[in-house]
Amino acid sequence: MGSLELKQSLSGHKGRVWNVCWHPKGNSLASCGEDRTIRIWANESSKWVVKTILAEGHQRTVREVSWSPCGNYIASASFDATTAIWDKKAGQFECNVTLEGHEHEVKSVSWSRSGQLLSTCSRDKSVWIWEAADDEYECASVISCHAQDVKKVKWHPHEDTLASASYDDTVRIFKEDAYSDWVCTATLNSHTSTVWSLSFDSTGNRLATCSDDKTVKIWQEYKPGNEAGISTENNESVWKCCCTLSGYHSRPIYDIDWCKLTGLIATACGDDIIRIFREDTDSNPNQPSFSMVCTTDDAHTQDVNSVQWNPVVPGQLASASDDGLVKIWLYSE
Amino acid sequence: MLSFFRKLSLSDKVKEGILPYGVMATPEDLLKAKNQSSLLLKDENELRETIYDLLRTIKDPEKPQTLEELDVVYEDCVYINKPTTKGVSVIRIEFNPTVPHCSLATLIGLCIRVKLERHLIASFKLDIYIKEGAHATEDEINKQINDKERIAAAMENPNLRDLVEKCIQEEE
Amino acid sequence: MASRFSGALQLTDLDDFITPSLECIKPIEIPKSKAKTGAKIKIQEDGAYVELNESGTSEKLQKVEITLADCLACSGCITSAESVLVTQQSQEELLRVLQENQNFRENGKQEEARFIVVSLSVQPVLSLAERYGLDPESATRKLAGHFRQLGADMILDMTAADDFSLLESAREFIERYKSSQDNVKGQIPMLASSCPGWVCYAEKTHGNFILPYISVTKSPQQVMGSLVKYHLTKYKGLPPERVYHISVMPCYDKKLEASREDFYNELKQTRDVDCVITSIELENMLISQGVSLNDVESGEIDRPFGAYNKEQSDKILWGHQGSGSGGYAHFIFQYAAYHLFQEANTTVEFKNLRNPDFKEAVLEKDGKILLRFAIANGFKNIQNLVQKLKRGKSPYHYVEVMACPSGCLNGGAQIRPQDGLQPRELAAKLETVYHSLPLSKPEENCVTLSLYTTWLEGEHSDKSAAFLHTQYHEIEKMNTALAIKW
Repeated sequence: MGSLELKQSLSGHKGRVWNVCWHPKGNSLASCGEDRTIRIWANESSKWVVKTILAEGHQRTVREVSWSPCGNYIASASFDATTAIWDKKAGQFECNVTLEGHEHEVKSVSWSRSGQLLSTCSRDKSVWIWEAADDEYECASVISCHAQDVKKVKWHPHEDTLASASYDDTVRIFKEDAYSDWVCTATLNSHTSTVWSLSFDSTGNRLATCSDDKTVKIWQEYKPGNEAGISTENNESVWKCCCTLSGYHSRPIYDIDWCKLTGLIATACGDDIIRIFREDTDSNPNQPSFSMVCTTDDAHTQDVNSVQWNPVVPGQLASASDDGLVKIWLYSE
Repeated sequence: MLSFFRKLSLSDKVKEGILPYGVMATPEDLLKAKNQSSLLLKDENELRETIYDLLRTIKDPEKPQTLEELDVVYEDCVYINKPTTKGVSVIRIEFNPTVPHCSLATLIGLCIRVKLERHLIASFKLDIYIKEGAHATEDEINKQINDKERIAAAMENPNLRDLVEKCIQEEE
Repeated sequence: MASRFSGALQLTDLDDFITPSLECIKPIEIPKSKAKTGAKIKIQEDGAYVELNESGTSEKLQKVEITLADCLACSGCITSAESVLVTQQSQEELLRVLQENQNFRENGKQEEARFIVVSLSVQPVLSLAERYGLDPESATRKLAGHFRQLGADMILDMTAADDFSLLESAREFIERYKSSQDNVKGQIPMLASSCPGWVCYAEKTHGNFILPYISVTKSPQQVMGSLVKYHLTKYKGLPPERVYHISVMPCYDKKLEASREDFYNELKQTRDVDCVITSIELENMLISQGVSLNDVESGEIDRPFGAYNKEQSDKILWGHQGSGSGGYAHFIFQYAAYHLFQEANTTVEFKNLRNPDFKEAVLEKDGKILLRFAIANGFKNIQNLVQKLKRGKSPYHYVEVMACPSGCLNGGAQIRPQDGLQPRELAAKLETVYHSLPLSKPEENCVTLSLYTTWLEGEHSDKSAAFLHTQYHEIEKMNTALAIKW
């Protein structure tokens, strides 16, 4: 069993904070919210302070922010149907590119491992893939596979494979085919309501998803010719739900993050609580089991919208909530 | 009876819309207000009455009558369910749409949510549902009116927001 | 089931298939009620709406009927309007009309029967030929026979209309190029207009910014519509409303095009094209009749306006140089090279850029680039093209824009590959067959040339402009709160 210690509460945002994202170096944090701003926080002599406030970039709520893998760009997805790319070339962060095209609110944005691809998704049910080259962004694909609002897109930690979570209760996996077309290679069906978020583990062979149905599901990838003998089609991997964590959350789960350093899973829930799960030491790879090792009842005073583990500092966690606060935590056992 | 659950002082600030730019309740305000009133959250009946008080004056988006006059909401439509793990009240509202017109039903759901979230100080979780069997596509509507992201985005649409504001405006 | 509309239209909410009864916000006249309270409305088991009055009696409410014209004129729920039009132009509707016509004729009601004309475009013919293992000419003849059997009076091929579109587009390009040299804005690049998926997307999404760039030349389908309803009718001594014009097309987007207000004659209450039927629907019709196209008795194509030329009077199906979508970029390139720069018979080579759906060709002389043309197929390339244009970074003079990857041969309603072939591979196969067809050179098509005289009274006449050109309208998003989908 472990505990989550509150290190600092960061106030400043007006209204709900939707998302937090750590800089790849782990020394700064970006947050965004209903007040249409992006705040960048940095640690100065053990205290987190706001360093920059990026306003005027969007006309409506900023729903998600994402640092590029190189740390030089921030992408922000907004309800104003655009995605802004911010860079610091002129000394301060400026929005120099605005990606348009989505018909409705953009819900999520994610950079691929290489930083050369960007993905966005929207209530217009489509997932877009953009190619970044010299600050020019070209649309590489518009995929309309989901039947409803797409809530989240996340790239695989190593390959150019994309996963999306949707209001249509499914998760889909996308890859580029031989003709340079992006196609859906797998559909993950198991949740009984909106899938709000997802997170790959460090290998990329497993996926954790969280849903409006109050469960967390763990999925395992079975590649063609896998040892477990699971049959595959079209030379594509299949994904099977190998574990469901139910009974822990009492309201919709809005975000999930699987730490690439420690393997811990953190969830952000509508019951104001942050929970941490860990895979049991005697867990069977094909039927893993997880235990809840920490639950922070008073994490926030309202819905927790986002959680993210620091990519460099093991155990450090950031969270964002409807209560307008960003909080920094340290998990220890 | 004056209810302690109603935001009397903040009502002016928030009248313009949910946290409009420049006129927002800071987290400190909200925290203070919620902490104060959680102590008063003892009587379930009082809570139900307060909630219904807020619901019944909501105007129908189409007709010049209130939801109570149209039988869309009624006293028994407010349920107080088992609280969350942390002890936050869970409120369930069941309403009866007048006509099976989808966009009206979703609008009514939107109005109910915005009114309650704005005027109830106490911390609570809110679920709004169409009365079972009252609509052909109730599952779809229920999902939409309980999706807080969809609600938030909808309220940023000026035309929708204006309509909702008109419907939930209290006659002072 | 994959949508038969192009990607561009799919994105603009076409897949919702919401019926007008749920989403229609067309203002309806409700007589003022004398009752003081609101009405209670119950839905009966049979779906009828019944209003309960205060006195306890119930009154059945009248169903409100919305006409297609009303529906389409209102931009509020184009989604459902589009699903409405799909039902109105389905194979069921087609068969119903044909059956009704047959009944009129059999019962001696000649005056009520309509004259049925079918126009065949080349992509569906190739699609069906491939499906049934026929060569293109045989497939054309079988289709002619099949339609005749169903009761059609005339079966036409659309080469003349194709050539009209090509010629007019090329001429328009020359004028635009010259205007842009005089610094007139919004002329260059000229964007193709024959793809309704592209045009409707442009009208809905990019509005008045992009519309000036789109060529005003009608698509071959609509040129054919004018030709059939306003020239063929004179030959037959019939008023336009007595003709029922069916066009056979490779996609559903063409159904939307046929329903445009601009192609509807308010006075005569008739459309230029009454029904668009697609390759896949034809296949379904044959399947439901338990018939294979191979077994159908062949028929002949009608030639009311003569043949392409004397030497090839036996040829019934034609192709054009360039893409399988009509060869616009290719033809206009050569035409412009000659008329603007006196370069005759230039070789036109379209090279793939980032992907096979985005190609470019240049005319270079003495190290200078005189013309830069592109072919952009598929939604993502349309996106990139428009965004570049908005930023003022488009280097092109003309772009052949098509909403479907691989162009019309891979249209949304072309028959899907049978034997495990990928759609792209099938499209490539069809393209090879397409290029084996007799070649039509628009400037040498005797039919088109003579029609310029007999029908249009000259190449730059008022009639030319009226029958061969069209216009576009920015579609405003409906803003009334009740209609907003969130």
